[in-house]
Amino acid sequence: MFTRAFRFERAEGLADACELLREYGEAAKVIAGGQSLLPLINLGLVQPEVVIDISRVSAGTDLSAFGGYLTVGALVTHAKLASSALADEAQPLLGAAARQIGNARVRNRGTLGGSLAHSDPAAELPLVMMALGATYEVTNGRVTRTVKAEDFHLSILTTALEPDELVVSVQAPVLGPGWGWSFQEFSRRDGDFAIAASAALVRVADGLIVESRVAVGGVSARPVRLADVETSLTGATPAEIGDRLGPIQGLRPVTDAAASAGYRTHLCGVLVARALAEASKRSAEAA
Amino acid sequence: MSENLTVTLTVNGRKITRTAGAHLTLLRWLREVAGVTDPKYGCGEGICGSCTVLVDEVQVSSCLVLAAQVDGATVTTAAGLAEPDGTLNPLQRAFHEHHAAQCGFCTPGMLMAAAAMLADGRTRTRAEIRQGLHGNLCRCTGYGPIVDAIEATQLGAGQHSAGQHGAGGHGTGQLGARQQGAGW
Repeated sequence: MFTRAFRFERAEGLADACELLREYGEAAKVIAGGQSLLPLINLGLVQPEVVIDISRVSAGTDLSAFGGYLTVGALVTHAKLASSALADEAQPLLGAAARQIGNARVRNRGTLGGSLAHSDPAAELPLVMMALGATYEVTNGRVTRTVKAEDFHLSILTTALEPDELVVSVQAPVLGPGWGWSFQEFSRRDGDFAIAASAALVRVADGLIVESRVAVGGVSARPVRLADVETSLTGATPAEIGDRLGPIQGLRPVTDAAASAGYRTHLCGVLVARALAEASKRSAEAA
Repeated sequence: MSENLTVTLTVNGRKITRTAGAHLTLLRWLREVAGVTDPKYGCGEGICGSCTVLVDEVQVSSCLVLAAQVDGATVTTAAGLAEPDGTLNPLQRAFHEHHAAQCGFCTPGMLMAAAAMLADGRTRTRAEIRQGLHGNLCRCTGYGPIVDAIEATQLGAGQHSAGQHGAGGHGTGQLGARQQGAGW
């Protein structure tokens, strides 16, 4: 609470914010909803000299669906995503994940771009973006480029953003015909960060799994897409999911106050199975 | 590198302009600069809810918003729920009648979370009320009386339009139900 004083700069637009980032360098942090940055500042873990506010930038607060993609602006709050009829129709995984975030106050202020750029390994939105194979539009105010979710989230609180770049928007593929989806999360208390979470998309045709995408969060330094699991499921019936799932490879869970690494690994297997089962059921119902 | 900034907020109907540190959270601005001390600092992480206020009718953790970010906004704290002459509003009265406060630290936040929940006028089940309070921690009461108070408030609100059962009788019934284990 005894925050070191800092300068406050209100950016007029994202390009303006990027310019300020270049001017102040590492002394500056960008704030939108502030639901990740301000806890760190309140706890004294981050002590910026300058805080650049983009919460009043009007661009990036909309959702739109076009050409098979749902585009969500970086400044869309979790509350807006959670209650968006357009998002629920175009790609229901996003709203399902957003509704699991924190509590109502966190959702009212927290933004999509903030969550992605913060890149907490247990956060919901990076996980679903990884499962969806979403791409992020990022800008430094002069040049805009796109980065795939899997290339963006590098490690704990570490992304592929350059020091003067900001997330502009996210393009997530809409839910294709016949696909089912599921988001599963386990935490000790409602609203806590996930101990483990899984997002899955499955397409079942004629009783067999044709395609699937599955990712897990909270069990590594970044969300992990489980390509081996996806491959192993092709041709299986939904009832065979449990048998096809072996021990999940490629995870690097940590032991902390919430759970041991071993428990996280076990939980991960349980949640992946549940997510795949529910997604398969939804796919069968959609067909 | 410090900097002072002039911020104007309408707090509980009163327009307040103050020049203070640009780094101050809304909570610190309210408490230390404007003298509005009912929102409390608990965790600083958005978990406990004791600093909950409404900013332009939306509930936020005032410890997780900079005052400078919401310059010009309308802020309502628990004290602002009462009438200007100090008469408690129905929600505050229900908290009083149902003994929904013990040490009182969480109460301003509980009131604002409840006020935000009830703003849409929808009548909620006890489970939904609990769900709506999951971002607010109380270490004393065990939550039951708080849920009772909110339930009684929404019934009272319905009563004005429907003119049905008395709120007092309903409250007693809920207390009885809780003792039987139907609540907490």
